[in-house]
Amino acid sequence: MKQTLKSPTSQQTKRLWLFGLFLLLILALFLLSLALGSVSIPLKDIWGVLIGREGVRESWVYIVQNSRLPRVLTAVLAGIALSASGLQMQTMFRNPLADPFILGINSGASLGVAIAILGSSFVGGLFLPAMSLGGEFSLVLAASLGAGLVLALILLVGRWVQNPTTLLILGLMFGHATSAVVSLLVYFSAPERIQAYSIWSFGSFSGVNWTQLNVMALVILAGVGLMALLPKGLNALLLGEDYARTMGLNVGLLRFIVLLSASVLSGAVTAFCGPIGFIGVAVPHIARNLFKTSNHKILIPAIILIGAAVSMAASLIAQLPGSQLVLPINVVTSLFGAPFVVWVVLKRKRGATSFNV
Amino acid sequence: MIEPVLQTSGLRIGYRNGGKTPKVIADQLNLQLNAGEFVCLVGPNGVGKSTLLRTVTGLQPKLGGEILMSGKKLETYQPRELAGQVSVVLTSPISVGAMRVDELTAMGRFPFTGLFDRMSEHDWEVVHETLRVVGVEKLSHRYVHTLSDGERQKVMIARALAQEPRLLILDEPTAYLDLPGRVVVMNLLHDLASGHDKAVLTSTHDLDLALRHADRIWLMDDVGRIIQGAPEDLVLNGSFAQTFNRAGVRFDPLSGTFDSQNSGSKSVFLEGVGPEVVWTRRALHRAGFAVDEEWIPGSPRVCVMPQNDVITWQVELVGQTITFTTVYDLLQSLPK
Repeated sequence: MKQTLKSPTSQQTKRLWLFGLFLLLILALFLLSLALGSVSIPLKDIWGVLIGREGVRESWVYIVQNSRLPRVLTAVLAGIALSASGLQMQTMFRNPLADPFILGINSGASLGVAIAILGSSFVGGLFLPAMSLGGEFSLVLAASLGAGLVLALILLVGRWVQNPTTLLILGLMFGHATSAVVSLLVYFSAPERIQAYSIWSFGSFSGVNWTQLNVMALVILAGVGLMALLPKGLNALLLGEDYARTMGLNVGLLRFIVLLSASVLSGAVTAFCGPIGFIGVAVPHIARNLFKTSNHKILIPAIILIGAAVSMAASLIAQLPGSQLVLPINVVTSLFGAPFVVWVVLKRKRGATSFNV
Repeated sequence: MIEPVLQTSGLRIGYRNGGKTPKVIADQLNLQLNAGEFVCLVGPNGVGKSTLLRTVTGLQPKLGGEILMSGKKLETYQPRELAGQVSVVLTSPISVGAMRVDELTAMGRFPFTGLFDRMSEHDWEVVHETLRVVGVEKLSHRYVHTLSDGERQKVMIARALAQEPRLLILDEPTAYLDLPGRVVVMNLLHDLASGHDKAVLTSTHDLDLALRHADRIWLMDDVGRIIQGAPEDLVLNGSFAQTFNRAGVRFDPLSGTFDSQNSGSKSVFLEGVGPEVVWTRRALHRAGFAVDEEWIPGSPRVCVMPQNDVITWQVELVGQTITFTTVYDLLQSLPK
């Protein structure tokens, strides 16, 4: 009797296969990302570099160790973080189009970066020396400050505003307000600074060095670790906050942890890679569609695998293997992501994939 | 004496608007709900039924007075402990897809499982038993979004029951259902109270069903008073009519339903027996006729004659007799 109540075995088997398939896909994409690029490196030499074997061409060792390995690891981390953040936002707001940036985290980061790059024309060299000193890291710092500020604001406002929709509208309005300030900065800035700012806003997995990668990994691990505590709470939130409350959950605490985890995750990605769209909104949908479930006990591991794979694939395409050209990562995610979201919206039968909105 | 599951004394409910004077919806509510009892909360739209339900569930703070759940003050309960006392089915339909019926029902075990929601054998047994009691065990592997409204409502009730509460509170559980679906749900709620010793409290707009199924009615009027009593008592002492009578609508204690009050000046004499007469009377009322008990010379005389499977209506009007086979034709022939 009990047997019939748990997941039907056929469904469980299918899910196990899917998990296995994605693990293989991730391994394949990982090796391909190391092998392909402006120069192709044979797979056996990639293996040689990874295990530290002698006798691999030195330029290849350099390329793999200092360019491709950090890039693919950045892509993996960013993919996981964006997907995890997106899933939590979609569940909390019970909205299929919610994404990691819906509360304005990226607006805050953009503002920080805009002030760092563009604002220096006003404050006359206050940031300029710092930028030349810290190099790329000062952008990370500016973005982190901006994202952190918004994060603090969200957590603060989240305590007072009970209605999630109100929170959503506040986030949107905050985004509009910051983009107005950014526009103002752009309007009065020199063209080369504007270009520097646009390049940041295109997003990139390439600029992250090993030191930064360590920091990023630590922050993202913390964010994902927080989410790993929440499958039960997130499941309860699927029914709405009132139901969650009557099932004995501490909704205030739950909401705080969700906001903290989602904001830290999206903030970390934006700080190190720039604002990267679509992965966060698309991956949770892919997971729900493939695994045919809204249960976060399955969705959380699923989006971690799918997020890593999708992000690596996007990064690989952006490198345009075999050419000297590199596309901005946002171009790739948007080019593939936009049609995907259109497809999700059109295909959505009465809640067949996620929410009846 | 048995301790009531829910008891309020001097309860004041309403909303606090930003710390200013709170908006009081009802005051001095002294209510009591016992195990095994099915109570329907009825009242006109907007009198605060949902507010009362949300307040006694702990979803909304009270403004004053006292709420005792199993003899203990509501505000002293830990959320988890309270979840073992009372569970709910809320008005708005849930908007979750890609979730199976058994998964949704298993969420009722949340108060009893740990951080990672590991279900024990016993937990699954409760889920299974609950699905059986509600009569949806055949649906347990279906996805919730593929169910009909009635089936989904039953599953929501199953989820609430899986919480093994002493008190089950439902806010208009029949709102989105067709009439047979409403009857099924009300029957189920009555059975849960009488057969499983739960206290069941539901708000509803289906007065007719409430009168038939409820053990007691809490009748809430638009000044926030609540009158308690068996449905029949409230009908016979006129409370029911008083609360709901409005211009043009009248509660008819004979039929237990609401009639439109547009019985006109023209009168008709109606004779016959059985359901045919009841429905003919309704048609005549609608057409604006007062149906007389005695024949007044000069007014039309309608005679319903069911014979075998054919029903005919004979109308005597100014000396001539015409026979009809449908109510529609009958109404057309009467003088406007």
